[in-house]
Order: sequence, then structure tokens, then C-alpha cells
Amino acid sequence: MNFRLPTLVRTTTFKLAIIHSALFAVFLVGLLVFLYVSTVVYLRGEASASLDAEIIELTQAHRQGGLVRLNQSVLERSSVPGSRQFIYLLLDDEGRKISGDLSGLPGGIPLEGQGRVVFNIDYPGADGTVETRAAEGRASTLSDGAVIFVAYDVDEFVGIIPRITQVVWTAAPIGLLMSLIGGVIISRSAAQRAEELAKTAEGVMAGDFSRRAPVVGSGDEFDRLAEHLNAMLARIEQLMLASRHVGDSIAHDLRSPLTRLRNRLETSIAREMTAQEAEETLSLTLAEVDRVLATFNAIQRLSRLEAGEGGKVEKTDVGQIATELAELYQPVFEEAGLGFNAAIGRNLVIMGDRDLIAQAVANLIDNALKYTPPPGHVRFEVARGREGAVVLKVVDTGPGIPEADRARVVQRFVRLEASRSEEGSGLGLSLVEAVADVHHGAFTLEDGGGPPDRPGLSATLRLPRG
Amino acid sequence: MRVLIIEDDREMAAFVAKVLKETGHVVDVAHRGDSGLTLARAGDFDALVIDRMLPEKDGLTLVKEYREGGGQAPVLFLSALGEVDHRVEGLKAGGDDYLGKPFAPSELAARVEALGRRQVSEAPVTCLKAGDLEMDLLARRVTRAGKKIDLQPREFRLLEYLMRHAGQVVTRTMLLEKVWDYHFDPQTNVIDVHISRLRGKIDKDFGEVLLHTVRGAGYRLQA
Repeated sequence: MNFRLPTLVRTTTFKLAIIHSALFAVFLVGLLVFLYVSTVVYLRGEASASLDAEIIELTQAHRQGGLVRLNQSVLERSSVPGSRQFIYLLLDDEGRKISGDLSGLPGGIPLEGQGRVVFNIDYPGADGTVETRAAEGRASTLSDGAVIFVAYDVDEFVGIIPRITQVVWTAAPIGLLMSLIGGVIISRSAAQRAEELAKTAEGVMAGDFSRRAPVVGSGDEFDRLAEHLNAMLARIEQLMLASRHVGDSIAHDLRSPLTRLRNRLETSIAREMTAQEAEETLSLTLAEVDRVLATFNAIQRLSRLEAGEGGKVEKTDVGQIATELAELYQPVFEEAGLGFNAAIGRNLVIMGDRDLIAQAVANLIDNALKYTPPPGHVRFEVARGREGAVVLKVVDTGPGIPEADRARVVQRFVRLEASRSEEGSGLGLSLVEAVADVHHGAFTLEDGGGPPDRPGLSATLRLPRG
Repeated sequence: MRVLIIEDDREMAAFVAKVLKETGHVVDVAHRGDSGLTLARAGDFDALVIDRMLPEKDGLTLVKEYREGGGQAPVLFLSALGEVDHRVEGLKAGGDDYLGKPFAPSELAARVEALGRRQVSEAPVTCLKAGDLEMDLLARRVTRAGKKIDLQPREFRLLEYLMRHAGQVVTRTMLLEKVWDYHFDPQTNVIDVHISRLRGKIDKDFGEVLLHTVRGAGYRLQA
């Protein structure tokens, strides 16, 4: 048997509310106890102080007017109607009662000093009953041997206890209820937002990648969490789409060379060939296979890069990379009947990855080389741009790319119809884009600024100082 | 040359062995890191071809221990992890060259060939010769049949590499890596253009052709 707590009990709302009200109850009880203790202590302190003052006053009366005057004072004080604050007893030097509220001194009381005693005192009630109350008193022996005893009614203060207890019993349930309600309201709103996030995640798990968590706009932790979750979901969606697209594209792009390969092999088997023909066929086949392998390598490299692997961060002289690449390609342009000139600035050091940058730039130059018909011209410019970023620009005089297609050609395997016949994997510009991303830079394609029939293409790779 | 192949993938090991046998090498094969190291230490090999990922002892550790034990034979790493970072790691561990899978047989053969000869030319060389082509490394002067040939600095390095590996096949990728230090393949055949320029300078006006194209593989400088 598997007992499960009711759902309500397991919710964070419930737990938080319980914790909240428990803490509140502890606080409430603590507060009331403190209130009680401090009240009683204060009142007793006050009473005790006025007891001392009373004795001093009576002692003074005795000093001024002797026993007669003292007796008069005692009689005056104890006869004030309704006042039970103090209880008096005056005894003569032989211990006989002269006046006062008590019949005799309570036992065990010291006749000198500050010593006090708590004793019971009986009050006769109106209907013949006797009410016993607690009192605390102090005696003082006067100069002529008479003794004055003054006490106060402790039950006056003890009587506060039930009153305070009553307040506690009235206030505590209300307080507890309030704190429970408060706890539920507070934690409900928190739990609700958590629930929203959970629902979003559930939706995504179920396959709805366009689901997003609601952002209330309060800028609190939940909003931040929702924003981060949304950013993560956007990234996941993008990756999902990309990988789906890549899968399709790989199939599409590799099918044609593999089909060609297969057909060539098939015809070779069917046909008698001279040694020279056979060699020719084989080397064509080899070249085809090499291209397929190169595509695979490019895919792998790109995947690694996009997955955030690789990409060293070290001092890299982009100027030197550009100079070396320009030198590498210069003769190739000459052979192809194209003009090529490089304008490379000085002091172009950034933090980056030499190999990646070199490959990205090589891809841009390769592209310009491939798509610019003779007698065209390619310009390669490298200089510091805004905020210290290094800007590499390759401008050709080829047919360019229509504005509508520019965002698309950067995607993997996208090759415009016009270039389908050209060799290439369709991954070149994707790699440039990935390298730009790794360096937190940007890659943009623009019009080359040529005449309408041959606008050319201007490819710009911007790499921040890092 | 005697070459030891340490590779756990038996099919790959057999393929590498076949390629190297066909190019005239004597081949031994081990399939595990620990047994490979024992064999490498015991036998007198001219080159080792080692996979990065091996059971019992990975390739990097193997080469480190082999070098620490005084092993001198040059090492070519084979690996599916053909990325630059991994290549640098391999070279740091004591490897001499790095080849990512998949590779062409001609590439493998050329690289093993290039490795084996390296040992022989360990002593500092100041002068390289191939037929009547001479290169003075100190004066940075190249002559053919006594006639001075003017070369750009990069052309000089290209020719130097070819001459150091005279008689061997050198692939385009090897040239890109060793002469230009690029570890990617440009889409256009930039190397072909540079080779043809170099050819124009060292071969064109002389009778015998020294710089040959090896179909499907690369180039070979041979007198």
C-alpha cells in the first residue's frame, strides 16, 4: 500500500503557510509572556517603592509628632474608604496593637531593616464569608520602641494574570488565523508562479517548443527565472530547428554526390574500359569521395563550434592573419584573371582564435573568388572599427546576393539556385557566422555598391577587441 | 621502415597496416595501449602510428610514457578528434604529427613517410640538394645548375619543405599545415597555384622536371 499525502499537504503553499503561522504563534506567545512578566514586575516594583516611601513618610510623622501624630496618620490612611492599597498596623513598644487593619504582626517578620514577608490576610465579606488574599509587608521599629508595619495587597497584581490570559486566548486564535491566511496568500502567489513555470516546462516536454513562461513585469525573482527559462527555450527551439534543418540538408546535399558516385561505379562495372579510362574514372570517383568527406569534416567542425566547443581566447594578430591569407590567395586571383588588392591596417591585435579567424576569412575570400567572374575585382580591407573592433571586409564585383536571400545564405547548406552548379558544401558562410558568434562579433552581408546588373557583395566580419 | 600501429579498432588497424605494407613498410600491430607501449619499447621501430583513444592506456599517456622512457621513434597520432585543440594536445604529449579520421590512404602514407625520414636528418643541415637544385639555408639562396633563382619568402619555405622531403609524396594538406600553418582545407586549390608558380621558377627553364604531381595524392620533388 502506498499512502500518499493529500495533494494540498504536499504543496509548497501549505508548507509555507504552516511554517508561517507556526512562527507567528511562537512570536505571539513570546510577546504575551513578555508583556505579562514585564507588567507584573513593573507593578510590583512600583508598589514596593511606594511601600518604602510610605514607611519613610510615617517614620517622619513619628519623628515630628511622636506616637500620637503617627497614630493619627495611620488612622487617616486606613480609613480612606475603598482604598485597599496599603494595610497598616501600629504597635506600641510592648507589642500591643494601637491601631491598624491587622490584629497582629504576621509571623517571621524581622522588625528591622528591609526584610519583607508574604502572608495571608482574611477579609470578612459582606455576607459573612471570608476572603483570603496574599499581601507583602515590611515592619520598622521606631525610636521609642513602637513598631509600624505596612503591607500591600499582592493579589491586586496576581489578579492581572487571568486578564492577560484572557487577552492571550482571545488574541491568539485571531492572530493565528490571520497569519495562516496571510501565509496562504503569500505562498499561493509564489506557488502559482512556480506552477506557471512548471506548466511551461511540461508543455515544452510534451513537444510544444513555442511555449513560453509568462513574464509579469514585476522584475522579481520569478520574472528573472521566467526570462531565463524563456531565453533557454528560445535557444533550444533554435537548436531543434537547426538540427532538423541540418538533418534534411545533409540528406539532400550528400545524396547527389553519392548518387553520382554510385552511377559512375555502376557504369564502370558494366563497361569494358581501357586502363586510361579506368584510371580517369577512379580519380574522378576519388575526388567525389574526398568532397563528401570534406563536407562531413565541415559539418563536424561547425557543430563543434556551434556547440560552444573550441575557440581559444589568446592574443591574435588579425593583421598578420590577413596579410598571410592575402599572400596565399594573391596568385590564385591572378590565375583566375581577377584583380585582388588588400588594404590591411596596423596593430590589429584582438583576443581570439587564430585558426578560426583564418578559416573564416579564407572562406570569405574563397567565396569572392568563386563567384566573381573575370575580369572582376576583389577588395580585401582590414581596419579598426568602432570600439576597437577589427573589421574585415571582402568586397567583390560578382552578381551579389539579393537582399531577401542574405539572411538565408548564412544558414547551413543553403545555396542559392544560381550557385548550385558551383562546387562547395554550402557551409562556408555558416562557418563564418559561427566564428563571429564565438568571438561575440557579427557577420553581415551587404550590397557591393556596383552597377545594378553586377552589384557585387560586401561581406563584413566584425571581431570585437575581446 | 618498421612501423608499429597501435589501434583498437581492428578494421582500422588492418586498413592502416595494408596501406603501409603497400607503400613498402614492415608493420606490427597492437590493439591495446599497455601492450602497445611494451611492444614500442621492445622493438626497434622507425615510426609509431597511435590512435588517441585506446583501451587500458590512452594514446596521449602512452606517448608521454614512451618519451619519458627514452623512446625516440617519431609518432603519428590518429584520431577522430581531428580538431586543432586536440592536435596541439597530441603534439605537446610528444607526438610529431596528427591525422584526423577519416583520412585518405595517400595522406597517411605520405605522413608516415615524412616522419620516418625526419630522424635521419636530425643533424642541422645547412644545405639541401635535389639533383642540380641546391638550397643554402644560411644564405637563403637557391640555385639550379649554378643559376640563381629568386624566391619569395613563402616560396622559399615551400621549396625547403619539399626538398627536406625529397623523394617522398607530400600532400596539399601537409603543405598547408607545415608551410602555412593552416589546419583547414580551403575550397579552392590554393596550393596548386603556389606549386605551379614555384614550378615556373625552378623547372621551367631547365630540362629535367624535379617537381612532380602525384595524382590523387600531392606532389613529389625528385631528381
